[in-house]
Amino acid sequence: MFFNIYMILAVSCFIIFSAYKAWKFAKMPIHSRLDLYPIPKEAGRAEYGGSYYEEIEWWNKPRAISHIGEIKDMLLEMLFIKKLFVKQKRLWWASYSFHLGIYFLFGWTLLLLINFALPLEFISYITSTVGIMGFTLAFIGNFLLLMRRIFDSTLKKYTTPQEFFNLILILSVLITGIYAWTTCISPQQFIGQLLSFSTLQPGGAVTVHLILLGVMFIYIPLCKMNHYVGKYFAFHKVLWENEPNLPGSNVETKLIEAAVHPPQTKWSAPHISQ
Amino acid sequence: MSKQLDLQLKDIDKKTDRLVEIDSLMPLSAPYDKEGMEPDFVKVKDAWKEKYCTSLDGIIGVDTLVRPSTPEEDKFVHKFINGLAKLFADSNKNFLQPLTLTMEYCVKCNTCSEACHIYKSTNQNELYRPIFRSEVLRKIYKKYFTRGGKLLGKFVGADIDINWETIARLGELAYRCNLCRRCAQTCPLGLDNGMLTREIRKIFSQELGIAPTFLHSKGSVRQLETGSSTGITKAALLDNLEFMEEDIEEKTGRKIKIPIDKKSADILLTHNTGEFMAWPENPAAFAILFEEAGLNWTLSSSMMGYDNVNYGIWYDDNMAQKIALQQFQAAKELGVRRIVIGECGHAHKAAAISADRMTYGENKVPVESCLPILWELVRTKRLTFNPAKNNFPVTLHDPCNVVRQMGIVQPQRNIIKTICPGFREMTPHGVDNYCCGGGSGFAIMQSLNFADFRNKVSTRVKFDQILRAFGDDVGNRDIVKYVCAPCSNCKGAIRDMLAYYQATDKFNIHYGGLVELMVNALSTIDKPYLTFTDELMP
Ligand code: SF4
Ligand code: SF4
Repeated sequence: MFFNIYMILAVSCFIIFSAYKAWKFAKMPIHSRLDLYPIPKEAGRAEYGGSYYEEIEWWNKPRAISHIGEIKDMLLEMLFIKKLFVKQKRLWWASYSFHLGIYFLFGWTLLLLINFALPLEFISYITSTVGIMGFTLAFIGNFLLLMRRIFDSTLKKYTTPQEFFNLILILSVLITGIYAWTTCISPQQFIGQLLSFSTLQPGGAVTVHLILLGVMFIYIPLCKMNHYVGKYFAFHKVLWENEPNLPGSNVETKLIEAAVHPPQTKWSAPHISQ
Repeated sequence: MSKQLDLQLKDIDKKTDRLVEIDSLMPLSAPYDKEGMEPDFVKVKDAWKEKYCTSLDGIIGVDTLVRPSTPEEDKFVHKFINGLAKLFADSNKNFLQPLTLTMEYCVKCNTCSEACHIYKSTNQNELYRPIFRSEVLRKIYKKYFTRGGKLLGKFVGADIDINWETIARLGELAYRCNLCRRCAQTCPLGLDNGMLTREIRKIFSQELGIAPTFLHSKGSVRQLETGSSTGITKAALLDNLEFMEEDIEEKTGRKIKIPIDKKSADILLTHNTGEFMAWPENPAAFAILFEEAGLNWTLSSSMMGYDNVNYGIWYDDNMAQKIALQQFQAAKELGVRRIVIGECGHAHKAAAISADRMTYGENKVPVESCLPILWELVRTKRLTFNPAKNNFPVTLHDPCNVVRQMGIVQPQRNIIKTICPGFREMTPHGVDNYCCGGGSGFAIMQSLNFADFRNKVSTRVKFDQILRAFGDDVGNRDIVKYVCAPCSNCKGAIRDMLAYYQATDKFNIHYGGLVELMVNALSTIDKPYLTFTDELMP
């Protein structure tokens, strides 16, 4: 029973802590504008980095916003890590392999659940294929990232021990996972036991893997590896957030609300405090 | 002193005369690819070492950051730490979200490094890597303010000693970045080292009262006291305008009465007042074009109505807000329908973007760039041109504040393509442009040896871009070459750069704004507006 509860708790922590992080960013006060072009939602202009400021009397014109443009860019970034591909291909291979592997592993987990409900052979076949690809890609990517951090003197210079620890933690989860699921118990069988709440009696390797996996789930949202949360805010709520403050706009409403709570902390330089 | 590649983050607290020497610079394109084509750095004087922080790279950007007596050093450090805390408190709520994101998420992938022209022009000097200063700030922050940093120290990277030298070096380092935000464009996580650099400048200014003289006391403070950072008062402005009218008549044969303080005009045109002193032909060209097009426009002579600069956006939110709100107020009092910003990049961003959320409702007046209006006049043929009059090679510099930070890319290109047959783009250009090297105040910071950093380092990549844009024409001294820079600050940096490398004297390379090119090509004016009379060196 311990492992059933432990895993459910770990996954819940992952979801709750991640959501808490997102909520903390979402409730931060409205910020000054920091537009950075190109902004993909600028319809007809995103291609070259233009904005509504290219229009005369822009405030009297309807805004041409392309949500499709924004979603397309978001998907390219989420699914392919486009910026890194364009700007630093050498690192992209490792990073993309790692992230793609993780996506596959999420997919694999989902497929295991589906397969539990629908024990069909072809689903089981797809599940195993996705799992193998996930572990392989994530392992290769993680290993290459770690090697680059160790052997590339510049990357090494800026990497803290904690950042090495992060990579090693995930690597150990992957290695123990590969070992456990290929030699000790089939993941389908394991998930069946977990979901039917029958007492789990995993062997040594599975135990180590599960403990590490749980630790990883709890730890990720607490450290900067939760950048899946931050990245959304950095692009959508900061660099691409170019909503003008016009009469009656959402921005104006937020500013009026914010004005009710003027800052209590004061800066001390003489030109401000006197 | 470390070799530039060996420099480590923890060296920032090292007891040494100088952290790095700027001992390697990016080679320039022909004809500047030979030895002896540029002067050396000015030697650091011993007296400077005693008084200022020369222990970073030997350059002094912050001339008000003076070495305190030993007992005062701790107080200084303490104040800085207090200021750092305030960055994350309600005193900085306008930047809390972007700041927190950049502080928390950097994965040190170094994708941003190659984007930085300062890093590039110093052949990858470690000190100028965009994340170097961000990491120093993170280390200090972790050490004092995070649980991880307090408990685990080195493990999470909170491993530097914090003394006067550490903080002073960080303060200087905040003035080795043009805040151009080209690095932010490349970050896969959307993080912004340029913004973070400005936050460091804010701690120094807003908490310690330390900012470069030319930005603060001879900049923003002077503007609030006299109406202009140049010190030009209302009376001097009116005199200037009279001279300008005479000049226009002499050059074009036209008698123009420049409208001033015209109540309820459609457009309040605002200039960087530096134009009236250094490049009066620019505001004069605006007057010629706006009058010829029959626009209902005016200048203002009221306090805070005639200088559109706002240096606060480079170093101090408080000053930025004071200036911006008073500028809105001046436009309100005149009853104009819109404020149109002349050719000044940072004034564009300050009024349209940075000030956009500083106030709301009735306090605001819509802000617009001059560029779409000018393009409209060209497109609709309200102004007619004879492009053959601009029969010389022209290249266009994109001010970062106008393109990358505001998204105005095409109007200026459309104009220039229409009126300049010899137009050629720089590489890269548009939103991917490189900063002129004068951004964030560098163009006006003239104290001690800072001009050396600007001329040799921060403007270097731009100078090289200019050389490459003109290609073989550079060497041909008979051909006039024109760098069009629709921004006063950029023009300041380019002026100094061309003088430093003697590029006008030796190779006939000139610079100026966009409206001067427009007036020069106006089909209704016979005489050339641009004369290029400088004598070439033998
Ligand atoms: S590109 Fe972004 S994440 Fe990578 S080092 Fe630069 S700031 Fe950090
Ligand atoms: S903002 Fe510009 S100058 Fe500053 S670090 Fe980034 S690229 Fe370099």
